Amino acid sequence: MGVEEIDLAAPVEKAARLLSQMDIDFYDVVASYSRSISINILGRGIKEASSRVDLGIGVRVFRNKGLGVAYSQSLEDRDIEATVKRAVGFARVAQPDPYFKGLPGPSKAPEVPGLCDSEVISLTLEEATRIPKEMISAAEEVRVGAMYFGGFSASYSRAYLTVSTGVSVEAEKTAVSAYLQPVYREGDDVGSSYEFDYGISLSNINPCWIGKRAAEKAIEQFGSRKVESGSLPLILMPEASGSLFSSLLSALSGEPAAKGRTFASGLLGKHIGPETIDVMDDGTIPGAIASSTYDGEGVPKRPLKVVERGRVLTFLHNSYSAGIMNVESTGHAIRGGYGGYVGAGPSNIRVKPGDSTLDEILAETRRGILVLNASFTPNMVSGEFSTTIDEGFLIEGGEKKHPVKNLMAGGHILNLFKNIELISKEGRLFGKGHFFPIVKIGEVKLSGK
Amino acid sequence: MRDLLEKIVEMGLREGASFCEVRYFEERSNSISVENGVARALSSGILRGVGVRVIVDGRWGFSSTNIPTWESVLRALRDAVSGARSIVAYAGEEAKIAEVKPSIDTVIHDVKISPEDVSPEEKVKRILEIERAARTFSDRVKDTFLVYGDAVTRVVVCNSLGTLVEEVTPRMRLYCRVIAREGDNMQEGYESIGNVAGYELVENISAEDFSLKAAKRAVSLLHANPPPRGTYSVVVDPRVGGLFVHEAIGHNSEGDLVFSGQSIIAGKVGQKIASDLVTIIDDPTRINYGHFTYDHEGTRAKPHTIIRNGVLVGFLHSLESAAKLGAEPEGSARAQSHHYPPIVRMSNTYLAAGDMTLEEILEDIDYGIYLSGSQYGYVESQKGQFTCKVEEAWLIEGGELTEHLRDVAISGLTLEALKNISAVGRDLRIEMPGMCGKSGQSMYVDAGAPHFRIDGIVVGGRK
Repeated sequence: MGVEEIDLAAPVEKAARLLSQMDIDFYDVVASYSRSISINILGRGIKEASSRVDLGIGVRVFRNKGLGVAYSQSLEDRDIEATVKRAVGFARVAQPDPYFKGLPGPSKAPEVPGLCDSEVISLTLEEATRIPKEMISAAEEVRVGAMYFGGFSASYSRAYLTVSTGVSVEAEKTAVSAYLQPVYREGDDVGSSYEFDYGISLSNINPCWIGKRAAEKAIEQFGSRKVESGSLPLILMPEASGSLFSSLLSALSGEPAAKGRTFASGLLGKHIGPETIDVMDDGTIPGAIASSTYDGEGVPKRPLKVVERGRVLTFLHNSYSAGIMNVESTGHAIRGGYGGYVGAGPSNIRVKPGDSTLDEILAETRRGILVLNASFTPNMVSGEFSTTIDEGFLIEGGEKKHPVKNLMAGGHILNLFKNIELISKEGRLFGKGHFFPIVKIGEVKLSGK
Repeated sequence: MRDLLEKIVEMGLREGASFCEVRYFEERSNSISVENGVARALSSGILRGVGVRVIVDGRWGFSSTNIPTWESVLRALRDAVSGARSIVAYAGEEAKIAEVKPSIDTVIHDVKISPEDVSPEEKVKRILEIERAARTFSDRVKDTFLVYGDAVTRVVVCNSLGTLVEEVTPRMRLYCRVIAREGDNMQEGYESIGNVAGYELVENISAEDFSLKAAKRAVSLLHANPPPRGTYSVVVDPRVGGLFVHEAIGHNSEGDLVFSGQSIIAGKVGQKIASDLVTIIDDPTRINYGHFTYDHEGTRAKPHTIIRNGVLVGFLHSLESAAKLGAEPEGSARAQSHHYPPIVRMSNTYLAAGDMTLEEILEDIDYGIYLSGSQYGYVESQKGQFTCKVEEAWLIEGGELTEHLRDVAISGLTLEALKNISAVGRDLRIEMPGMCGKSGQSMYVDAGAPHFRIDGIVVGGRK
């Protein structure tokens, strides 16, 4: 894709030299470079080819526990000087944050392999076009006449981080993603769905599978009907169960969790559901989408058991939230590029499979809703949710009766965990990192016609 | 910069482009974050770069760079041209644009007080004053957050139609969030204010109408109940109404979604798709958060009527969607930054005022739900199914607001809901400044409505 050899270390070290001469307590400087290409699909097929070069530097300065941040998309000397000056000036105005305890020091970690695919780096736009073409061809083999939305993108990124505590880390990574949403129409009836995949390497993407699945799922959505309000079990496919587990781990992460601002703040040591629930966070899986050797503050990543036999064991910390609770960072700092903000959150989420199959789960469901696509992300403070089942089926007598529309589910997310009845042995691996099984939840309140 | 852009456009035509657009983008922004009376972080950022878009052999190519030098922008041009050529052999959407007269203009939106003329210390002092009203309201206020943000965006558009337009737009936004707590029960209240404006917006804020309101709402929600679930007549306030207009119809009227078969209202121009009471307008010329004079293709913006008295009369357009749908472009194409091509976006979208008072709208509802304050929403435009998350609600019983409700969301089908609008108020307010996400791009928008009534809406709830 035409990656350039841009020196990130020199501008970072220049900023660090300037900062080390100033009256401040801590600083960190990050510079990053990324190159991406994408082929966009819209309407009748491929619409546009695009590429991007992004480059920037961000400086965080702590003085008297106050934080000043500045960033710039220029690595020229005068812009680095101006960026440093703005961050230091702002840190002088910022007021002391009583919870800030400092930035982490250096520690070595074995490199997580397989995070940078040379095939992605050398990919040209001409070669990249093959993937959307194959997705569309596979969809058209199922049925012609769709209008499409989707695309394929590939990116390479490299970042260099220096912290005043002695941390100095450089990392590079590739990422690819593909998505296809076909829309079929029969009069006023619409059959629409989507499929996607993503990962570090081109081998993580199977365009024919995406296109075929997207078309088959879209056609199944014809004839969607409203369902009466009531209480029914939900069977969440991995795409939907993922939002349930991701929400829990996000609510257990960082400052909001440590400061008692999420529905999960009070869950440490408590049971959230049956003993079949085991959730692991592992940012060290080779070749996985959310893996890295170090986190956004240069702390080594490590596997972390978050929920064991239904009981919450830990929060996911960056250095700030760890400082609030007087514990060590768990290596979950997330830095949003050079823009300055450092938060905390999960990496690869692995939910332990159960022992049921989807067929068994369906067979024992007299009446329920099979949820293909819905977000169970609740209000992160209260834990309450009210969500539309974006794509799903009414199940009757263990079989798909018809697709549903205009149907909402509501409740408290912790009740969903409490009411988990079955976890499947099969599931979906996303980006070679996240694993979510199919989950059956007992009675959930539904609003419909 | 203008010389560079013009030369790259010339080069683009020489390299074989039938259309070439080069757009410089620069945004300087500052933010201050206050938490529980402490201005703990101040931040500033500068984004800038160039995006190049071409049509070559009937296909689109786009490329961008952060480095606005001749060499780097020329490379971006060549990447855009080779990108377009790389897809020529594959079936897909043909690239074409409406032939329009070129625009040559410079627009600088004036402000009374430039944020740059106010010291960070002074800003912190003022923001803490505003936040204090929320923090000291009640001992049940657990946490208060206030975020101040100012940004000045400079966009220069140069294209091979002869357009050369520069627009400098200052924006100001304050966002307040309050968490209230009683035992294990935690609830939130929000307020947001924003406009194309300078620091005068901050000076004129009344804490009572802003941060204190957020605190009162958070505390009062501690004793609110979950809503009943099912299908009801609902009355929406101007913020929920704005969210409904934006999600239920606004996205469906975006020309790029229409020509690409992603809109439920494609092919329905001239048809009655809503009740007679419904007139929906998107107006970038109004001085609200989504205001601009030229879009990012250099087209001068005009107000767009989408639905007039229930009849679909038009869509929002880019140069491309106007060409494909046989319409005049009226300036609806915008891009988040130089890294993105312009796509069709809403600006300030609203339901036009009717003639009823809120009391008249409520009076013949025996049992329904009054919805107030918007959180966020989304739409599956191809299916016409939308969801709106609401801050708080009340039961309507015998035309009166009774029980206070929380954690309410509504879901509906666009074509049903528009026909079921049965009463429209006279109290239009556009006060939902925020960012709208589409195709990975985030954009400044605003929305509003008067109070209005929709029958047969699904209300999600636990009771």
